[in-house]
Amino acid sequence: MDSQGQKYQVFEKERADLAHRNAGSVHAPDAEMALENARDVFVRRPNCLSLWVVPERAIFSKTVQELRDNAWREADAASDAPTETWLVFQKQGQTARETFVAHVGAVAACSPQQALSRALETFPNKNVFVWWVVPERVIFKSEDADAPSMFAPAHTKTYRNHLAYPVEPIMRELKSAQEMLDE
Amino acid sequence: MPNDSLAQKILTLADDSFILGHRNSEWAGHAPILEEDIAFANLALDELGHAHLWYELYQELTGVEPDRVVFFRDANEWRNTQFVELPKGDWAFSMTRQYLFDLYENVLLEKLVNSTNERVRGIATKIRAEEIYHLRHTSNWVKRLGLGTDESHARMQNALNELWASALQLFVPLENETELIDANIFPDLKTLRDEWQDKTVSHLSASGLIVPRVLEPRAISRAQHTEHLAELLNDMSSVARLEKFGVEW
Repeated sequence: MDSQGQKYQVFEKERADLAHRNAGSVHAPDAEMALENARDVFVRRPNCLSLWVVPERAIFSKTVQELRDNAWREADAASDAPTETWLVFQKQGQTARETFVAHVGAVAACSPQQALSRALETFPNKNVFVWWVVPERVIFKSEDADAPSMFAPAHTKTYRNHLAYPVEPIMRELKSAQEMLDE
Repeated sequence: MPNDSLAQKILTLADDSFILGHRNSEWAGHAPILEEDIAFANLALDELGHAHLWYELYQELTGVEPDRVVFFRDANEWRNTQFVELPKGDWAFSMTRQYLFDLYENVLLEKLVNSTNERVRGIATKIRAEEIYHLRHTSNWVKRLGLGTDESHARMQNALNELWASALQLFVPLENETELIDANIFPDLKTLRDEWQDKTVSHLSASGLIVPRVLEPRAISRAQHTEHLAELLNDMSSVARLEKFGVEW
């Protein structure tokens, strides 16, 4: 925690058929303000259906390289914490389209290590680069009732969407006109 | 249909939103944290957008174009309250003002969505969704600063002491406002004021702040302004006024 507050990771659901995906992070003094900051920083473009914020320090994260060393599993046995729901996130690719850490499902566990072991069994996938597990209780979520005031107004603000500015076709046209002149 | 009264009333709504939006835009690049810099600038832009919708309606009623209304009027022709033109002050001042204004807009828009005038109803419905979020955001800030450190609390209390009386100018009716109330186009500001006062007092008290005892708004006309408005307009119109109105670029 610094003068800007705690760091929260932000997850955004853009379409009904897409999972919540990591959009980036915000600082805030508490979860409620983090959700509002996330809205203003990441949801200025249309198509957000739901937003989650998670205190970064609550995320248990391992890369595939880190998983090769089994030492992380040892802390597993020591926990006598109650079993709870953990949400599982995977970063499934390195291409531009798949750079997101996306929500894939949930497991029940009593420690981050146990949650990750169970996640590895439950959601096996060779193409995962990073795994995140988070207890669901620390996730602060927007509610359906928030959508009309939090997300819907962005729908009419098409000027915020880069796709509203057809710069590329215009540039291409100019370029080909120039090439024709040059010939 | 009391068209002239309606145009005058619409102009007050537009001018209040526009000047407040412009004032708040002065925070861009200066807010306390980056995230809030973006959020507050967003909110200022929304106010300019809402003003634009009202200016379009004003144009339909009077034929005067929004650009002309915004960039080519002198201070004495503006119809905003002094409340929104005061310099931005410290963060507590701007936040408290935006909160008091958001609550006023919320109670007003809640009534305007049922206005008998179709255009007013349409614009109000569109703006209201966003204003609900504004109020949520500024209410949260007021609470956190009011209940925060000794310094944030003291600054909030100072801001409230300075702003409360001038906020009441929002509830001073225009000369022919009864025509609009009788036609059920606009609600009676007396009712709005009671509702606004109940809600602000309850939230401000819960935020550890004491609301100053001011019983009645001073009946300042919206044609009367502080010296701050002329300064703001000079700055704001300087580029537009390099050419005469209507010159095509």
